Amino acid sequence: MADLEGIAENVIRGQAPKVKALVEEAIAENVNAGDILREGLIKGMGVVGEKFKNNEFYVPEVLIAARAMKMGMELVRPLLADAGVEPVGKIALGTVKGDLHDIGKNLVGMMLEGAGFEVVDLGIDVSPEQFISSITEHEVQVIAMSALLTTTMPSMKTTIDAISEAGLRDNVKVLIGGAPVTQKYADEIGADGYARDAASGADQAKVLVGVA
Amino acid sequence: MTHRERWVRVMHFQPVDHIPDEEFGAWNENFPVWQEQGLPKDVNNNSDFDRYFQFAPRSGIPANVGLSHGFKSEVLEDTDQYRIYIDGNGVKQQVFKDGSSSIPHYLEFPLKDRKSWEELFLPRLEIELESRYPENRSDWEQIKARYSDPGWSIPVGITIGSLFGWIRNWAGFEGVSMLCYDDPDLVKEMVSHLAALISKVIHRAVHEIKIDYAAGWEDIAFNHGPILSPKMFREFVTPNYRRIADTIREANPDAVIYTDCDGNINDLIEPWLEGGINGLFPVESAAGSDPIAIRKKYGDRVVMLGGVNKRALIAGKEAIKEELERIKPYVDEGGWIPHVDHRVPPDVTFENYVYYLHLKREMFGIPHPEEFESRPEIKAIKAKWKGVL
Ligand code: B12
Repeated sequence: MADLEGIAENVIRGQAPKVKALVEEAIAENVNAGDILREGLIKGMGVVGEKFKNNEFYVPEVLIAARAMKMGMELVRPLLADAGVEPVGKIALGTVKGDLHDIGKNLVGMMLEGAGFEVVDLGIDVSPEQFISSITEHEVQVIAMSALLTTTMPSMKTTIDAISEAGLRDNVKVLIGGAPVTQKYADEIGADGYARDAASGADQAKVLVGVA
Repeated sequence: MTHRERWVRVMHFQPVDHIPDEEFGAWNENFPVWQEQGLPKDVNNNSDFDRYFQFAPRSGIPANVGLSHGFKSEVLEDTDQYRIYIDGNGVKQQVFKDGSSSIPHYLEFPLKDRKSWEELFLPRLEIELESRYPENRSDWEQIKARYSDPGWSIPVGITIGSLFGWIRNWAGFEGVSMLCYDDPDLVKEMVSHLAALISKVIHRAVHEIKIDYAAGWEDIAFNHGPILSPKMFREFVTPNYRRIADTIREANPDAVIYTDCDGNINDLIEPWLEGGINGLFPVESAAGSDPIAIRKKYGDRVVMLGGVNKRALIAGKEAIKEELERIKPYVDEGGWIPHVDHRVPPDVTFENYVYYLHLKREMFGIPHPEEFESRPEIKAIKAKWKGVL
């Protein structure tokens, strides 16, 4: 019997090889790929996010959980289309121009994937033009920006302004975060959402694409 | 009272004429910005900065506890668009030449597993003294004589480097996180090796020169708390700090041992104390490490260097005054040398910084240095404040 509960459990514990074995088993038993994703992988990462929010988990625990989740995801992904499972949404994620801090951004990416999003990771030091290209090239619904420096935060505003100038502001929602960023700042620059941590970021993203 | 006596007395909660006049410097980006606002053009880096504001000096003992020799800096690829190279820490990185950015993008970290630890790092971390002290014995004897002179008026300290922080730099944050789970024995071995090396190197120095403090760094916290759990820190790191602290305190039981860690450090203070670290720097108030809460909780078990919220300096004169008034009663108890809680960022104006410094010196009875006060740009700024002061 496929053990979806076990998949979730082993994602939480960061046991990548066990997740892999259990997902393989489930696939072999013809379990619906969408169920493996939702009841196993996403469910596990959801718990990880909660534990992270509550300081029960720290960054290393999230990293090994995400690694386990990805291992399962790789096996499931090719089957999702056939099973008629669409990603919850598509998001472009990057650290803004002039800023190289990516630990937080990467965690956000993991949580987004763990919540069922397709994530286009633009990396660090991402210019407004690169964010804009992601809207036209990848047709993302959300742009997620991370900034860790008070001196690079203004680039979030520059990017939002550039998106408006390109006439694309109605095509995307903008989500921002990072240590110096606040809800107040998000309101000031006209971002659509802000979250203080990676797990809340994934929750916010769901709200923005209207699935929460 | 000499600066050294003052420093030591403050750190031991004893009465002083005034607190030491120390600050932590500014970002490199500040110098061009502040020059536009009146800072002389020849103040371009943090040593110029310390000299300009006439902050009290420290004397460091030259004993290297880190890599005995760096990695060979090497260019691997050089095209019109970018350059890929390896730096002194062995980190492979890429910089772009199109003028779009000057910041390096990290591509690969050298420390990955036991093999890379043994091949690349152990040979650079051999437990020996030869390469780690001044080459000429006579240079060392001179330093020893100078710092041991009873008239030496500057606080004497030694650096104890980092335990987890170094491994993080060499393996990358994600790398070391994975290693903690994939090969915990290796992580323990590496930390323990570093502690053995550091203890061995400083053993000579602390026995031959009476030090006032030892300073290390970790930088393993961010705004929400430690990056790794206090439990993991206790397991991997604390016992190793204990070894280093024992080496120091066996020579001088009164030495202050402090560590540099930004971010919200509240949950790390207990594990540090268990490891013999009793000093905190720079106590980043803006990130949730409130020095007053720390004082209330730990009393004289913990001494602090820093703790002045940089955001007050960004906000302006009112906020600066409020912040200094807030901390004053606790600073007056001793065990706390207040200064800005990190390097001053460029969104603090030169004028606000001068104001902060003026008020701090005024409130804590620190003499205003004559040369600094006589500078025309400082006089001009202060003339504007008539009525405010
Ligand atoms: C690790 C670190 C570095 C590493 C970065 C390694 C890497 N690959 O990322 C290194 C050493 C390279 C580095 C370099 C620098 N750093 Co630094 N760094 C830090 C440190 C200690 C931790 C950051 C971190 O990784 N936190 C862990 C993650 C998990 O947290 P996080 O990033 O905040 O992300 C969480 C949330 O914010 C949120 N989040 C983040 N992004 C997003 C995005 C979205 C959309 C959402 C919803 C949520 C979200 O979710 C995350 C998880 O919950 C911070 C200290 C601090 N207080 O934050 C300083 C800090 C950010 N750095 C600082 C500075 C000054 C620098 C340098 C300029 C130093 C220098 N002079 O060279 C350079 C900058 C280089 C550059 N141009 O970017 C300052 C910034 C001060 C300021 N006023 O802005 C800080 C605050 C340190 C300090 N106390 O002053 N740094």
